[in-house]
Amino acid sequence: MTAVTTLDTPAAVTSSRGPRGLLWAMLRLHRWALWFWLLLVAVGAGALLWAYGPGADAAWAEYHKAGCGSTTPPDLGCDLIGPAYTRYDTFVGVGAGILGLAPFLTAAWAGGALIGRELESGTAQLAWTQSVSPARWLAAKLAVPAALLTTGMLLLTLLHRLLWSTDGPLRAAMGSRSWYQGTTFEANGTLATSYALLGLAVGVLAALLQRRALPALGLAVVVLALLTTVLGTVRPYLWPLETLTNKHEYPAYIGMVVDEGALTSTGARVADPICVDNTKCLAEHDIVGFYRDYHPSSHFWPLQLVETGIVLAVAALTVLVAFRLLNRRTGAAV
Amino acid sequence: MTETAIEAAALGKGFGRRRKQALDDCSFRLLTGSVCAVVGPNGAGKSTLLSLAAGLLRPTDGTITVLGAAPAAVRERLAYVAQDKPLHPQLTVADTLRYGRELNPGRWDDQVAERIVAEGELEAGARIRTLSGGQRTRVALALALGKRPELLLLDEPMADLDPLARHQLMATLMADAAEHGTTVVMSSHVVAELDGACDHLLLLGAGRVRLSGPLDDLLAAHRLVTGRADASLDPHTVVESRTTGRQTTALVRPEGPLGPSWQATAPTLEELVLAHLRAPEAPALRLDDVREAAV
Repeated sequence: MTAVTTLDTPAAVTSSRGPRGLLWAMLRLHRWALWFWLLLVAVGAGALLWAYGPGADAAWAEYHKAGCGSTTPPDLGCDLIGPAYTRYDTFVGVGAGILGLAPFLTAAWAGGALIGRELESGTAQLAWTQSVSPARWLAAKLAVPAALLTTGMLLLTLLHRLLWSTDGPLRAAMGSRSWYQGTTFEANGTLATSYALLGLAVGVLAALLQRRALPALGLAVVVLALLTTVLGTVRPYLWPLETLTNKHEYPAYIGMVVDEGALTSTGARVADPICVDNTKCLAEHDIVGFYRDYHPSSHFWPLQLVETGIVLAVAALTVLVAFRLLNRRTGAAV
Repeated sequence: MTETAIEAAALGKGFGRRRKQALDDCSFRLLTGSVCAVVGPNGAGKSTLLSLAAGLLRPTDGTITVLGAAPAAVRERLAYVAQDKPLHPQLTVADTLRYGRELNPGRWDDQVAERIVAEGELEAGARIRTLSGGQRTRVALALALGKRPELLLLDEPMADLDPLARHQLMATLMADAAEHGTTVVMSSHVVAELDGACDHLLLLGAGRVRLSGPLDDLLAAHRLVTGRADASLDPHTVVESRTTGRQTTALVRPEGPLGPSWQATAPTLEELVLAHLRAPEAPALRLDDVREAAV
């Protein structure tokens, strides 16, 4: 082995074997995190697949057994939720929940175990005094988890979408879950994955700032929670709204409603005086109609992609700051 | 032998917002092949200096050059063992050596690393977290030497070892360094630990260089003198003097022949270091450029 390597020039050996070495180190050092992630993805995938197959079948069987589904519109009481549908709903919730929780788990792990603990115990410095620059070390710390996270999250997202595309009638019958609701919205597109990557970036930067595992873990989770709250709040305004108007009563409630109210004869939007059907009251307030600003379901992808773009941009910026911070501190020529 | 292993020029490192100076205006030079002892009290800046040399910290002032380049550019050629011997606790001894092999492609020498581990009778399958402090030190040294460094930076390397293991590891280290011409820089606040092993001394105090140069030259530049309390020591530089009764004992740097009223002996390394530590205001002495001029 030694005899063979000495025949090559050191530079050539470095370039051909370096990445393999770091990849090996990453997988070996974070073996338990890797197993945990694989387990989490397996549980999520299992739950979604079960809901997609036997879960949905059982829910339908229960529905038909109650004598529903033969008339349109369905009889009153058919949206009464039975045990089979509850079970189905729980399994969907587990799958979607893992997609929703993964970014926070990632942030906590990245802040605590991936970087924070290594800076605290000095094992990061141990790596930097092998033939690995701090920048390459950080690149490996980001790239390997990012690849595994993306793969797992996209797999779960695809399964969730598969489920979503087929269980429409069941949802309609039971009147549960809408496309725009938080976890569902994120689990059906690119957002869950991009938030997981943001969690990774935030965790890494928090650890570089704190240099200790526990404070970094806390900071990472708090910052990610703040970011998701802010982005969740501005989500409806990331794409132009559509407006429905109607005379005498409110237009139908379809899709993600952002604003609603009454219209005067001049077309001005005012707060609903809540006259209900009192014509005198309506005339007094000069109310001639009602409006709803909303996103139809066709806005799913535009909303999804704009927010994904923002999340990935914030993540990229965070990574850039992390690299600059590390370089400034260690004085490393890459 | 004429190449420079480490050269510091007006090197300074401050920490925190207040820029508390751990190192301040340090200049010294160390030639390749030397075995250098970095000595000083706790908080003198020994660890900071070694971290700077290892490219783990960026200086706030001045420069440090290692093996003719910036420390970060010669990462492959130097090894560093930090004071608390950080190792991944979840790895086994064998995996830790594999870690060294994977992260030092083209340099790693399995035989060297495995020999050091084998001398400590460590089991390859034992996890690092189950090892004693001394055993961890051994694995950390194996990781450092397996890299075949040209410059070996050791921060308080022997602190956790029992006297026998210390003796044995020091012998291994010195034999390895002599065989490969490795430059070794070793810090300690226990002077006795370094005596006999080192040929170069760097004494730090309060972040500054107090003494720097080949050990023999530094010792030769000082005399431990005893004489009557009223005798004058002019024009010699007095590092430290103590008077008990009518007798004065002093460590001096003679500027010429000492008068007949003084009894002079050569100081030991420990006496030299202790006198300088007890007298923080004594002027610094650098002899590390002299040899270069002579070569």
